[in-house]
Amino acid sequence: MSVPFDGQGEVRVFAGYDRDFREEADVVVVGSGPCGSVAAYELARAGRRVVLVEEGPPVVPEDFVLDGSLSMTRLMREAGLRTTTGSVMPTMQAICLGGASVVNSAMCIRPPGFVFERWCREFELERTAPADLAPHFEAVAEFLGIAPTAREVLGPRNELFARGCDALGYSSEPSPRNVKGCVGSGECFTGCRARAKQSMDISYVPAAMRLGARVLTSLQVQSIRTQGRRATGVEGQVVEPFTGRRSHRFRIDARAVVLAAGCMATPLLLKRSGDLANESGQVGENLQFHPGVSVMGIFPDPTRPSFGATQGYQSLHFLEQGFKLEVLWAPPGVMAVRLPGQGLEYKRWLACMPHAAMFDAIVCCERSSGRVRPRRGGLDPSIQFHLDPVDVRTLQRATHEQVKIFLAAGAHTVLPGVSGLPDTMRSLEEAEILATAELRATQFSAASTHAFCTTRMHGDRGRGVVDETGRCYDHDGLYVVDTGIFPRSPSVNPMYTGMALAHRAAGAIAQEA
Amino acid sequence: MSAALWVALALLAIGLRRLGLGYRPTPFRMLFRHEAAFVEAASDSMFPPGGEIPESGVEAGIPAHVDRYLEAMPARQRLLIHALFLLMEQVTLLFPAPGWGGWRRFSSLTPVQRVAALEGWRSSRLFPRRLAFLALRSILTMGYFSCPSVLRAMELAPLDIRTPVVEADLLYPRAGRPKSEIAFGPKDVTDLLEHPLSPKAPLHPEYRG
Repeated sequence: MSVPFDGQGEVRVFAGYDRDFREEADVVVVGSGPCGSVAAYELARAGRRVVLVEEGPPVVPEDFVLDGSLSMTRLMREAGLRTTTGSVMPTMQAICLGGASVVNSAMCIRPPGFVFERWCREFELERTAPADLAPHFEAVAEFLGIAPTAREVLGPRNELFARGCDALGYSSEPSPRNVKGCVGSGECFTGCRARAKQSMDISYVPAAMRLGARVLTSLQVQSIRTQGRRATGVEGQVVEPFTGRRSHRFRIDARAVVLAAGCMATPLLLKRSGDLANESGQVGENLQFHPGVSVMGIFPDPTRPSFGATQGYQSLHFLEQGFKLEVLWAPPGVMAVRLPGQGLEYKRWLACMPHAAMFDAIVCCERSSGRVRPRRGGLDPSIQFHLDPVDVRTLQRATHEQVKIFLAAGAHTVLPGVSGLPDTMRSLEEAEILATAELRATQFSAASTHAFCTTRMHGDRGRGVVDETGRCYDHDGLYVVDTGIFPRSPSVNPMYTGMALAHRAAGAIAQEA
Repeated sequence: MSAALWVALALLAIGLRRLGLGYRPTPFRMLFRHEAAFVEAASDSMFPPGGEIPESGVEAGIPAHVDRYLEAMPARQRLLIHALFLLMEQVTLLFPAPGWGGWRRFSSLTPVQRVAALEGWRSSRLFPRRLAFLALRSILTMGYFSCPSVLRAMELAPLDIRTPVVEADLLYPRAGRPKSEIAFGPKDVTDLLEHPLSPKAPLHPEYRG
């Protein structure tokens, strides 16, 4: 049972702002997603007076909408319609207390050692080896109760994935997740009605409040205040939930400003504040994604696809070849979009969905990169991204492997979802075209919510924005602790790595603030 | 009056007719007349009556759902959706549907022509065309799946879940509401659920027949 809140901290919501106001704190943390919430909690635990600022509102189960499209208009920035230019790809960022943790599938995957060894080697980092980060990963895991998905809530989708991997000799395992009491509703992406997902709004944020942190929601930070080379606070405006209408102004003075607004918003905030922390020219650059490609399979027997952990099983078998395989489920309307046909034929495919499963691959596109810039006339980003042809080959390989797993698991029909190729594949021979065809990026329906590197850490201040503890090279009292500080892709789902790095950064910030 | 002027006036009349005339009034708040006509036509082309799932797109309430969707959307994104509908209603001028009169606006095509036009977008070699189709299909399909009877027919309707009260429920009101509306106190905090959902559990109340 949860411990009842004793009221030491404070949360303020939109309806509670009736005038311009000013606050003071030791540390102001901007953004309540996984990284910001961990930092806020750890700083409060270290005895600092913390203000955690979030642009979105808190959401409770009554706010969750099972309808996929309406849910996205409420919980995602730009109503879930944000896309990159260049290689066009949807990308989603959440806007609510708890950020992405409210609407992701709770996967907490620790990258294998080779990831951090490469980070250290290629970015001149001295304290980011696997052993350096281990205590931080462990602290987060203990707090959130991260554990492999329980067998009882796997459901047929996840079990079929395991069966296919086993048949092919690929390693696979239940996904480690930050859940307690998961019932397998498959509703992670629209908000967990069972309150099982330990999203930040029900885990780290209340814990930070118990330690005295003040949580101010519906506040849009528009600029960072500075005095000389020192950050002294932030300022902005109150925004109405869902409409974004702005009203009262606020200012928060603090000895330390910790940016955790996410890899899209943090570089924009730095740029809008007079191009802060950018003597290296790296703010907003080096953007990397994990483009995801999904494949659907139809089985002879019912799969009850809406039951089971959303992403309860995974395979790290191909991690060193650049991709990770997972099971996937989302609101049925989102899943169905990829089906072929029109009219009655489309409806026939829809009727197959109770026998369907969906897998996906997140691809570590290290050769591809992009940049984030302020969009004219608004506070949203313009996101450029270009998929390198070599990475497109990896997308192709990942798609092929998914088709093979489906066939090995007993699917009679597989829908690879690649434009220009057959809509369906029923045998390894038919799937062989995925190994031989010369495919272009535009033939894949890729999407990505994993984004990083736009304020990257680097041992050389001329080539990075922050050092290994998230401290900005160019300003005192200014830190970045979100996934923007990754120097390159973590190869796996980034939330856990981001939280571990934020945990480490909080220790350093507490000493200085 | 010169011949050129007559031609120009005729073209203007045809343009106005194509863009704005002949559309029925609609009960919607956000959808313009031409958009409502397009959404209805596209909905019933993508989801015609009959087949394994009985409801057609219009019967499933797609136009009303699209209207609600637009209303919930920020202005910039709403503009993009308006532009998408306008484009797809009118672009038969550039990409005519097969058969006689395939250049007419989408909502004036025959049902067979509409299906062929949509398939032309889906399987186009031009990436922007496929992208526009994907956007349209996403909007309409999510509208179709918002209909409880469609989800029931597909055995995908969400089940009823007893939502426990957790510590956070004592802290936050519903989005946009004042804290005075927080309905729970410390005594209401309950244990997390311990058992997985049973497929025999009752459906979510909003999805029952």
